[in-house]
Amino acid sequence: MKMSKSIIYTALLCSFSLALSAPAAAAKVEQVFKFYCAQCHGLEGKGDGPNVSKTFPVDPRNFTKAKEMEKLSDADMKNVIMDGGPSASKSPMMPPWSKTISEADADALVKYLRKLCNCKGKGS
Amino acid sequence: MKQLTKVLLGTGLLVLAAAPAHAGEKIFAAKKCDGCHYTQGPAREKSIADQLAKKGPELWYAGSKFQKKWLQAWLQDPKPIRSLKYNSLTADNPGGHPKLAAANAKAVTDFLMTLTSKSVKAGVIKPKKNPKGRLIFVKKMPCSGCHAFPGKKKFKGGRSGPSLVGAGKRLNPDWIFAYLKDTNEFKPVRAMPVFKGLLREKDMKKVAQYVASFK
Repeated sequence: MKMSKSIIYTALLCSFSLALSAPAAAAKVEQVFKFYCAQCHGLEGKGDGPNVSKTFPVDPRNFTKAKEMEKLSDADMKNVIMDGGPSASKSPMMPPWSKTISEADADALVKYLRKLCNCKGKGS
Repeated sequence: MKQLTKVLLGTGLLVLAAAPAHAGEKIFAAKKCDGCHYTQGPAREKSIADQLAKKGPELWYAGSKFQKKWLQAWLQDPKPIRSLKYNSLTADNPGGHPKLAAANAKAVTDFLMTLTSKSVKAGVIKPKKNPKGRLIFVKKMPCSGCHAFPGKKKFKGGRSGPSLVGAGKRLNPDWIFAYLKDTNEFKPVRAMPVFKGLLREKDMKKVAQYVASFK
């Protein structure tokens, strides 16, 4: 009985801390997105950040367009985040962030972008 | 007795030598410049929240970053360097940075020029337009996506980073290279990618030469 009580307490504690950490993680990835990505992709991810003028050499991806986003796998997206546009034959205006953001932040960003497009990636 | 005189004279000279910077530091505090700019290194920012809490750029390496003549003139007639408000992606820079009278600008400049970083080695970069630097800045890397730059083409660069138009007069060429090489030492949290490990040092030098040639 003692054993089962402690298991219940542990489970309760775990779920409580998970409930606490999920919003914190969501807030963190949103902050990462707004700090690094929104410069070009816009605060809502529509590809309309303040850098994008009529003469900007490329149209930054609109993450809310599910049809386009579905063509990419999660691995494709992480690859471009970390190694830049040219790693996927895309524009060098998309920087390589591998020396700037962590692997965990890149993974969280991919999930965040999936929420923005409300879509699943190729092969998932 | 002679020795005592020497010591006293020496101390007097030291005080005199230090006086101008001290005067500028007092003005810096009196004008509340320290409300927006911190002047003691090393860099304090550890998180995005830390960076977003800042009201203006850190100045603890101002003497390594800026050219004295430019700084003294700018403090008397400050014009926006950023197109957007500091730390904002939506609001335009409203301008209105406080102006200093000529004497105060000189004193504050003298103070700021004493704030240097050992990571900036002098005499490494000479301003020079060069095709390699241009190629990296405009095509291979995304520099122009965020920084305005001078040129004849229609695309004049992005808005989220500080403008580099006139960088040849504003920035110390050696600082540009040091910043590319050791970005995190100066700005541990900033919206610009770290290029160390992605660009070779000799290419960073070419970019620094190129940016330092901007009029």
